[in-house]
Amino acid sequence: MNSHPPGPRSPFSRRTLLRGGLAAGGLGLVAGAAGCGSPLAAGLVGSQLNPGTVTFWNLFGGGDGARLQIMLDEYRKQQGSADSLVAATFAWGNPYYTKVSLATLGNKPPDVAVSHLTRATNLAAAGLLEPITDETLALVGLKTSDFTPKAWEAAKFEGQSYAIPMDTHPWVLFYNTEVCQKAGLLGADGKLTKIEGLQAWEDALTAAKQATGTYGAATASVGDDSNCWRFVNTLYSQRDGAKPLMSEEGQEITMDDALMVDTLATIQRWTSSGLMPKVVDTPGAELALSQGQSAFFMNGEWEITTLQSIEGLKFSMAAFPQLYEKPAAHADSHSFVLPRMDRDADQLKRAMGFVHSMLEQGMTWAEGGHVPTYLPIFDSQQYKTLEPQADYAETATYASYDPAAWYSGSGSNFETVTGSQIGLVLQGLTTPEAATASIRNQLETYARTANPL
Amino acid sequence: MSTQTIGASTTARPSVRGTDPDRLRRTNKAWLFVAPFGLFYLAFLLGPSIYMFVASFFDTSIVKTGLGNFIGLENYTTLLSSSDFWSSMWHTLQFTLYTVPPLVVLSFVFAVLANRMQRGQIFWRMAFFTPFILPSAAISLVWVFIFTADTGLWATVQKWLGSEAPSPVLATPNLAMVGIAVATVWWTIGFNFILYLAGLQDIPRELYEAAAIDGATPWQQIRHLTIPLLSRTTTLVLLLQIIASLKIFDQVYLMTSGGPGTSTETALVFITKTGFTDYRIGAAAAASFVLFLVILVIALVRQVVERAQLKGA
Amino acid sequence: MATTGAAGTSRRSGISAAAPPPRVAKVGTNGGKTFNRIAVVVLTVFAVLWLVPSLWAIKTSLTANSVSALGTQAILKDINPTLASYSSLLGGGDLWNWYLASFITSTLSAVLVVLFASMAAFALSRMRFRGRQVVFLLVIAGIMVPADVLIIPIFQMLNTVGLLNTYWAVIFPQVSSVIALFVFKQFFDGLPNELEEAARIDGAGNWRIYWSILMPLSRPVLAAMAIVTFVGVWNNLILPLFVLSNPDLMTIPVGLATVQGSYGQRFSDIQASTVLGALPLVILFVIFQRRIVEGVAGTGLKG
Repeated sequence: MNSHPPGPRSPFSRRTLLRGGLAAGGLGLVAGAAGCGSPLAAGLVGSQLNPGTVTFWNLFGGGDGARLQIMLDEYRKQQGSADSLVAATFAWGNPYYTKVSLATLGNKPPDVAVSHLTRATNLAAAGLLEPITDETLALVGLKTSDFTPKAWEAAKFEGQSYAIPMDTHPWVLFYNTEVCQKAGLLGADGKLTKIEGLQAWEDALTAAKQATGTYGAATASVGDDSNCWRFVNTLYSQRDGAKPLMSEEGQEITMDDALMVDTLATIQRWTSSGLMPKVVDTPGAELALSQGQSAFFMNGEWEITTLQSIEGLKFSMAAFPQLYEKPAAHADSHSFVLPRMDRDADQLKRAMGFVHSMLEQGMTWAEGGHVPTYLPIFDSQQYKTLEPQADYAETATYASYDPAAWYSGSGSNFETVTGSQIGLVLQGLTTPEAATASIRNQLETYARTANPL
Repeated sequence: MSTQTIGASTTARPSVRGTDPDRLRRTNKAWLFVAPFGLFYLAFLLGPSIYMFVASFFDTSIVKTGLGNFIGLENYTTLLSSSDFWSSMWHTLQFTLYTVPPLVVLSFVFAVLANRMQRGQIFWRMAFFTPFILPSAAISLVWVFIFTADTGLWATVQKWLGSEAPSPVLATPNLAMVGIAVATVWWTIGFNFILYLAGLQDIPRELYEAAAIDGATPWQQIRHLTIPLLSRTTTLVLLLQIIASLKIFDQVYLMTSGGPGTSTETALVFITKTGFTDYRIGAAAAASFVLFLVILVIALVRQVVERAQLKGA
Repeated sequence: MATTGAAGTSRRSGISAAAPPPRVAKVGTNGGKTFNRIAVVVLTVFAVLWLVPSLWAIKTSLTANSVSALGTQAILKDINPTLASYSSLLGGGDLWNWYLASFITSTLSAVLVVLFASMAAFALSRMRFRGRQVVFLLVIAGIMVPADVLIIPIFQMLNTVGLLNTYWAVIFPQVSSVIALFVFKQFFDGLPNELEEAARIDGAGNWRIYWSILMPLSRPVLAAMAIVTFVGVWNNLILPLFVLSNPDLMTIPVGLATVQGSYGQRFSDIQASTVLGALPLVILFVIFQRRIVEGVAGTGLKG
């Protein structure tokens, strides 16, 4: 620096003041011009976002996502405006529920969100949801009796409803019809002959293995903890005297260890004997089905969309067979929930109008494999003749949901804990006894932890 | 961003003329100047640190107002007996072990080589440094795509090299952390590269010329001149790298979200899961405090080492 | 520390800043030439390797979604570049909202950091006051505090005061940049006192000395700190990820990380969003290359 006098004399020269004023004014102008519903205004002064529209969050990827898109477009058409709806899709599982929770805490939740029923009760317990009363339903002409009782009851927390069930999505059996034909597993109607009992199932797997030369059945043992849990929950729940893994809202572990060990030993036998692949992820298991290396593929019914897109694959679906004393299949339900926020009557009505429109479009959703819980769709002739979807619709009546606990529900810690051990059992990397002990041990840590809800 | 170096500055001037405290004017108006910064410091640095410490003794829940019930050391005892916590600490260490050596060695090599180039300094700088200023979200999406199972770029290269069915990097428990480490090395090497380059340009040219006249080969020059002269930079880079690795969150969250299973769940991912997904703020605060202490210890080590080096220099 | 005799005398830097750009020593003998040749080859190989991921992202973003869905081979063979992914992204509203959020939070943070840090540094460097030592100690302690680890309590604080889901939730926690304060203080300490003394004799107050004497002299530090803060806030993930939950308010990194529904398995769209998300920083880097490099090297800011 040299001898030049340093800057103007007054600390805030007129020019700086002017500039500052302009900048501040400019900011105000921008905010004004952008309108009070704009992100800018919401971000700076916390005003409401997108007034007059319905905002909707969901977690549907893949085939479900594509189907949802069709339904959303239909809703926009009904409303006569593309701006009537703002929809966002988030990553499935914990990340999604975290977003919904934090957004509600932060006072900017969506008008309507999708939630698994097993997660909705926890959201309700956390005080993050608006109750669904008869009056709320009546706003758009709905009533409790429009829904499958089992699903509707599952949506209750402390006697109050908090979610509107949209479907039940059970774990089912997919089968390659050509391979099953070859293995002599099909009846005269071209459908899978009913399999009943453990022996019959293992015989069917053996026959199928002979037909394919590789495997009888396939389901993911890696990369999908939830799937592993669904597999075992289906079998475990079929057994007499099998208590839910937890009770007392998760504070007590009531798993029947002997039955669990036996169930795990059974599935391990299937993989170690080569009836099922030891190490495979979901795409791999699907590939096995489509390339005729496996007669059966087990997963949620939603995989129908993916399998339908594989050229040349002839497949069908059935309820997972009853191998033990009673019928059961793992399932959960997608539902609509209204996150807690200050809403006026219009907002509530708009939100419910959207839900109603989605329910009415239930046929589109059902084509994606899901069993409708909205009775006008479920009882319709159109659904009853929808093949193969209608063939496993009965499953919804004996669905086995995740046991209630703050750490439970679809995609939850509970499913990670159980599923990861089951995955190891399927891969032959741990024993049924060790896995059961580890599951009990880890769940007991959660059971001892104070319920944060 | 928050790991900082003071005194690392290669351009800082020695404070000789500066200010003699006794000549300073004594005035409490100074508080007016300190206040704006101080307010934010209290509200978002000191305050949260204290809150974290206090909440770690309560069963605070994110969905309930207030701190909840006082439960003494229960959060800590549960934490220290939780296999999830220890495995998250192990994964953090694993990440550190995978990334620090290549980040230090490669960046040193790149800098030494680039420093010898007469031309194209800009090009090397762009090539190695540009990734560093990009958002972690962008680089993660690129690497997730590269690591796409079966049809991705890396799987395809592996097939060219003769592997029949390459394992999907990010979906295989033993490989996922390696995948994250590779992306991290690619992303952040530019930072160390720049620090080394700055250090190298501080070494007087004459030293090399003298060494060359004495008959030292380039390798000998690196071995006996460059490496010792850059030891201060290396310590700095090493400690910064370790601290940054302990706080690893972005790449893990973005590339595997801790999976498959929990095989890449690191400490900070565990903390945010406990706090935001499980709603257990008290427990998350306890875990944060433990991690906080670990990082603080290493930061202190750094201060001590830097002091010692300053004295030694 | 070093065994070489030369090492002891070598560290008198400071000259290097003024020294001419590095010239390679005339080391014709002792294998210097061979070494240099190997160096060029090695460096080039690595540099190319380092460019591959970026080029791959760009190439994919210029491919049709239907082609990129088929995998690497198809993308490599594709010779029909298309801007479809870019036009669909720029045509939608999300990306613009994210740009807006990133731009506003980064700019305001940079302004506030530079202003508040330099003010505090001025007080610490030029004034004596009760509690100065305490302030100084707190600042030193603050350097060691890992801010990311405070995400849980920071969230709780913002929730208590009702700032969640506003831009301020991203800005405020990043304003108290201890490092910026430190750099400013170091710089002020190195400035001569004469100008101020003269001004004080003229009756200038503290504000005037700060604003009209020290600030104009601090332009280089100011710029470096502003840019480094801007980049840091722009790239921050963990804070906005948890304090901004609504897609309309998200910053670029959070948007890229969270909202995938609208893209699904459309790889080209994802890579185009990556490129667009990174673009502003690449431009910034090209313009301010020297400042950024200096800022990073000088302060050791590490993401």
